[in-house]
Amino acid sequence: MTSFDVIVIGAGHAGVEAAYAAARLGCSVGLCTLSRDTVAHMPCNPAVGGTAKGHLVREIDALGGLMGRAIDATGIQFKLLNRSRGPAVWSPRAQADKRQYSAWVSKALQRQPKISWLIGKAARPEVKHGRVAGLVMDDGTHYGCRALVVTTGTFLNGLIHIGPERRPAGRHNEPPSHELAESLRSFGFDIGRLKTGTPPRLHRDSIDFERAVREGHFVEERGDSVPQPFSFSTTSGLRNQITCWLLHTTERVHDLVREHIDQSPLYNGQIQGIGPRYCPSLEDKVMRFPERERHQIYLEPEGVDVDEIYVNGFSMSLPRDVQELLVRALPGLQDAVVLRPGYAVEYDFVQPTELRSSLETHRVQGLFLAGQINGTSGYEEAAAQGLVVGANAALAVLGKEPLVLGRDEAYIGVMVDDLITRGCLEPYRMFTSRAEHRLLLRIDNADLRLTPLGYRIGLTDRDEWARFSARQDRHSRNTRTLERTLVRTEEGARISASERLRRPGIVLEGLIASGEVHLEFEDVSRSLEVASIENDVKYAGYLRRERASAERTRRQDRKRVPDLFDYARVPGLSREVVQRFSQVRPETVGQASRIPGVTPAAVAVLAAFLERSAFSEADRA
Amino acid sequence: MFSTDDSIVAVATPPGRGGIGVVRISGPESRRIAEAMLTRREPLEARMATFTRVAAKSTDVIDEVVATYFPAPRSYTGEDVVEISAHGNPVVLQAIVVRALEIGARLAEPGEFTLRAFLNGKRDLIQAEAVADLIAAATPMQARVACDQLEGTLTGQISEIDAELFSLIASLEASLDFPDEGYHFIQPAETSRRVAVVVGKIDALLSAARRGRVIREGATVVVVGRPNVGKSSIFNLLVGSDRAIVAAVAGTTRDLISEQVDLDGLAVTLVDTAGAREATDEIEREGIARAERASGIATLLLIVLDGSQPLSRDDEQLLGRTSDRSSIVVTNKADLPAAFEREGGVSVSARTGAGAEDLRRAIVRSLTGEESLRDSAALSNVRHIELLTQAHTRLVAAQRLVDIGDTPEEFVLADLQAARAHLEEIVGARTSESLLHHIFDKFCIGK
Repeated sequence: MTSFDVIVIGAGHAGVEAAYAAARLGCSVGLCTLSRDTVAHMPCNPAVGGTAKGHLVREIDALGGLMGRAIDATGIQFKLLNRSRGPAVWSPRAQADKRQYSAWVSKALQRQPKISWLIGKAARPEVKHGRVAGLVMDDGTHYGCRALVVTTGTFLNGLIHIGPERRPAGRHNEPPSHELAESLRSFGFDIGRLKTGTPPRLHRDSIDFERAVREGHFVEERGDSVPQPFSFSTTSGLRNQITCWLLHTTERVHDLVREHIDQSPLYNGQIQGIGPRYCPSLEDKVMRFPERERHQIYLEPEGVDVDEIYVNGFSMSLPRDVQELLVRALPGLQDAVVLRPGYAVEYDFVQPTELRSSLETHRVQGLFLAGQINGTSGYEEAAAQGLVVGANAALAVLGKEPLVLGRDEAYIGVMVDDLITRGCLEPYRMFTSRAEHRLLLRIDNADLRLTPLGYRIGLTDRDEWARFSARQDRHSRNTRTLERTLVRTEEGARISASERLRRPGIVLEGLIASGEVHLEFEDVSRSLEVASIENDVKYAGYLRRERASAERTRRQDRKRVPDLFDYARVPGLSREVVQRFSQVRPETVGQASRIPGVTPAAVAVLAAFLERSAFSEADRA
Repeated sequence: MFSTDDSIVAVATPPGRGGIGVVRISGPESRRIAEAMLTRREPLEARMATFTRVAAKSTDVIDEVVATYFPAPRSYTGEDVVEISAHGNPVVLQAIVVRALEIGARLAEPGEFTLRAFLNGKRDLIQAEAVADLIAAATPMQARVACDQLEGTLTGQISEIDAELFSLIASLEASLDFPDEGYHFIQPAETSRRVAVVVGKIDALLSAARRGRVIREGATVVVVGRPNVGKSSIFNLLVGSDRAIVAAVAGTTRDLISEQVDLDGLAVTLVDTAGAREATDEIEREGIARAERASGIATLLLIVLDGSQPLSRDDEQLLGRTSDRSSIVVTNKADLPAAFEREGGVSVSARTGAGAEDLRRAIVRSLTGEESLRDSAALSNVRHIELLTQAHTRLVAAQRLVDIGDTPEEFVLADLQAARAHLEEIVGARTSESLLHHIFDKFCIGK
């Protein structure tokens, strides 16, 4: 029987990062996928990044992951969102060439000798004495492994809806996975059902873009004049190659939706799963916000030489003919040809409260979950979990402490902590407002925050480390220069450049342009590095306060709750709280305090009890 | 978060009441701490009430007390506990607590004794603070405030403020998280206006707070003045004219006399410093020291002058020394020809009783402000005042940033979120999830 240290089921955005990270840590990896053609596939919007999601990609990159480099290499339009706001909420976003993206990732994995491809359908994990021993494929093949990572996306009992049509499928034209779903259920996991959707795709040649722009139906959307990279290692080659178009729905479109609403599986009871509110279907937009006269729609090419146009903001599960009617009701799309209809997909997910902070399940040792199976949505959220899970599967095999990022260290840390303490009621997407220490978690300092950590556990290789070290030195030199250079104020006083920079209205670019200070920057990342230094100096007070508050939280997160702790032993906890604690099994007092419905008094009681029992155990010892 | 392995101290009896007051020390060090402050040299015996004295640092006696040591687990909290029963004078009880703090105890958080009792299986219920307040209410006014809190009038008001702030934050957060949704979520001018509204509401609650605190905890009013101006007569005038005396407590340290009086429903501990300068030199010095200590903790000073004689140097010095304190100047002996003219203050004749009503009204007004005592919820919890004040500070900072205009929104939000966190320590926390919920309910997000 062939054996691997780690087997990863699924080669989507979570699976590829997991396989890559585990391989980097020196483990042999079996990567199990139905087909090599759909590696790192983008079944929904052809884009990477966006607010908070862009932060995740920067963090993945800082930890040696693939996504940042992949999108830099295959992106076809780049934008830095929130540029008019502060650097903490700047976020990169790029349109991707779907095929090239997938090919780039596939090649990167092939170059990694520790990864073997297992083409076929996974059936069930093999578990002995409560721990993972291997994987059984549906053709009966056995593989041995010490850690098993499941990243099955929407495939667990996937069910696609297009109007009255219902098809078991994980994605467009791909079979779902029932046996795996059943075997997970058999372990006793708390399993729920979610829904997501995707819009119709149109044929590029059926749309007269120039005319629609001329007639005022479409507005062209272009990339930034100076594209910013996602990856800290990208030094050149970013190119805006396409245009997107913005248009709006009309009252006529809304009328049509209302007219056909009883044919929508979302509104006639056919769909049970819960969809994301931040990504509403067209049906929801029209029915829930009747006061809105129009909604934004973006037309996005799925690649440079691809015919498909993605209709962003127009996801729906109405019947095919109604979809066609609706598309053609949009101004400028009267002749559009629908290549593929939009659909809604329902799928099983495992409540992530079943997981530890390493994303290993509490129930089965060596079984790790990442991506949509944990109730999240989004390529970036999946990739970030994939990275964590791959690293932790490998670290577990190597007998080392897991990689757990703090809420004040990374958006990834916020996401994992949210998932395992709160669970999911709807698909989880990252937002900057979820990160209470947002001021510390900027895209420009993702490497300073995380790369040393990644290097320590082996996620970052020597070349990357050398580049990072140079950048870190540059950063400290620049900071020192600012402190030591004296500049003149309007009143003629001589003060340090950093002090000057703290005054309202003074910007670093101004000090540099006037020749008052001389700093060194890498060309491609110049604007981010400038922002990095300026932000740290200008808002030092805020950042200090933020770090102090983070430290208070950290203290709680250092108080550990023993494994298999019996909460019923703690006097005075209400039955509800005991039940909640027993379900979530918090690993620290900090985690316990973030479980919904748990009062501060209950947490104080738990902490006191733990302190007391630690005390008396120390006494006995 | 409470630490549970140190020793804590607090006055265990309700504030501002006469008779006996109890200071409780709980924790592994409680016996050592108690023995260090008692004049008796022998160790305390378990569960034996021992008559002794508490000495301050400088060895002068604070009070005669009865100390009882309850070893764990047979005590109120289940830990080692020492209870010190002294005369129920707030000045004395506070001095004992301060002494315990000097020796190494930590001031107990509200409800902390109960928490420890509870952790050690001594109690099966943590009772709400307001329930304890209701039990402790000494006057009908106190009962009303406790009741308001119980019914949530106060938390209701703070919730309203919190909800307003929350909705403002949601709009700002939405503008950061959803930059390309085609919404103009909020403009800076509106942000500034809405922060100002919240600040205004907190201001109103805070100014109500001062009188609320006085109603809840009572006030200490100390009569001061040079010898022979009639301090004791003024004291007797206020005490004697009111039938609602709770208890007359003899001066615990010979020179201070305190009485509990009810002024318009307000529990006032009236402290007389009479006799301080009428004895020999050494005792006089000590007396002055004690009078000063008493004035130090006073909510309000009554500075008594003799209107029939020109102001002396002692008078001038006293007025100068107390110029930054909350005080009422009482010009006594109004029945005699006036020897000087003075603006403000209250004119009284202790002998005839003339002006007594004016003086009472002046005291109540000074303690509770101009507004009627009987409207709206008063903020009476020290912790609430503290949290509201902190929220206020951060909101003002946020508004300044908005008005200057060149600071990115995320820093404004950092201040607003910090303010919200303070408010939510009172009314209960909301999560980032409920913030997103609010945004998704209000706006159609998602392209």
